[in-house]
Amino acid sequence: MGRSVRSIQKNVSELVTVKGIRHGLLFVLSDQADFAEVIKELGRKIPTSLSNLEAKVTVYFDTGERELGDDAKQAIYALFEDHKNLTIGGYEGSPSPLVVKAKEPYVFKGTVRSGMVIEHDGDVVILGDVNPGAQVIASGDIYVMGHLRGSTHAGATGNHKAVIAACYFSPIQIRIAHVLSRGPDVKASAAEMEFAYLNGEQMAIEQLAYLGQHRAHVASFVRL
Amino acid sequence: MGEAIVVTSGKGGVGKTTSSANIGTALALLGKKVCMVDTDIGLRNLDVVMGLENRIIFDVVDVATGTCRLEQALIKDKRFETLSLLPAAQTKDKLALKEDAMHKIIDQLKEQFDYVIIDCPAGIEHGFRVAITAADKAIVVTTPEQAAVRDADRVIGLLEQQQIPSPKLIVNRIRPTMVKNGDMLDIDDIISILSLDLLGIVPDDEHVIRAANKGEPTVMRPDSPASMGYRNIARRIIGDPVPLMTLQVDEGGFFQKMKKWMGRR
Repeated sequence: MGRSVRSIQKNVSELVTVKGIRHGLLFVLSDQADFAEVIKELGRKIPTSLSNLEAKVTVYFDTGERELGDDAKQAIYALFEDHKNLTIGGYEGSPSPLVVKAKEPYVFKGTVRSGMVIEHDGDVVILGDVNPGAQVIASGDIYVMGHLRGSTHAGATGNHKAVIAACYFSPIQIRIAHVLSRGPDVKASAAEMEFAYLNGEQMAIEQLAYLGQHRAHVASFVRL
Repeated sequence: MGEAIVVTSGKGGVGKTTSSANIGTALALLGKKVCMVDTDIGLRNLDVVMGLENRIIFDVVDVATGTCRLEQALIKDKRFETLSLLPAAQTKDKLALKEDAMHKIIDQLKEQFDYVIIDCPAGIEHGFRVAITAADKAIVVTTPEQAAVRDADRVIGLLEQQQIPSPKLIVNRIRPTMVKNGDMLDIDDIISILSLDLLGIVPDDEHVIRAANKGEPTVMRPDSPASMGYRNIARRIIGDPVPLMTLQVDEGGFFQKMKKWMGRR
């Protein structure tokens, strides 16, 4: 898991090396030098290399042989607090792509109209609208590349990690695993590019841009 | 070889029969040979709207069961030479009309007429399936109400299953004032939900009720807004690119305007 990086690290005398990876940025921290030195160097590296980045970036750390304690993680976290566009993804090197190829996603092209039911063991992608009275049930995630107005049930077999995403998000009712949530009683205009996920036992809605952060399996799956 | 067009909606009371009668008559006005077929067995009323009730001797079930020939059941319209009606049965069982018999009748009619307009019963059961079975094209009628749009959506799904390519949409009974005030569903909203091509819009018009009670299709009166809507629809069916009518908000007559003006002072 990201251990291939170590060979590079050995050749590098620098305390902190920044590498661009598929998932964002990887900070390789030297495991030879004193940690306080490394932190100081890290603090210097961030502003110079990242001050001009506007996009949201997830950063990862490879600490080599060094085991990071809570204090060490706090110290790193404190450095990144001022950089709102950066989020810490993990301390175990670059994330490995999950193998989620087991089940083929089902792609439906067209409008899912009232009375239609789409059921699939795996993810479902709808290239069109889901209208009121229609139902989409998936054991995995549900992605609607259109207007979601109907009812959807993701993670129907009990997968709490499933998400429901839509370009225009105004469902009548959504379910993830066994948690049910209904749309507002008052008609609101559809939110653009949003997704629903389970935050504990609570249904949560978030901008689609944050999908990768909340559900790492989706991010690595999408980039496979 | 003519074209069979089914007029359907799912929900009852949105104006299927009125639309069938008016589209049929408007096509006849344009000089086309048209036959209207009422498939609402047991609840026939296309003949009433057309004012041809007293001329019925045989009906569509008689033709299907072989009691009479197709020509015997066809009723010539009293206004247009080129317009005919095949009435529904009023006393027979709904199940008396089967899909293969319907196919045979419609195919026969298509040989004689340019357009065969099939008036579909409400609902999505047997009667609906029989009505759409032989259609080449479909027109879905809806009103600017949530319930009607839901049912239309369901019906469109069923039509797509039947391999009837891209049904066309008529939005009936629009009240421009209510749409303007946001109390009624917008035409754009309806189209975006149903994702269909709009064939035409028909404003709400008292004259439609008056005309239906007199047994005379609304399109016969050129001055009514609903009549204009149906005439435009007929022209689009034969391939004329007619721009969509602009909805005029009714400001009231001269005296109403006068009163408003006086009141404002």
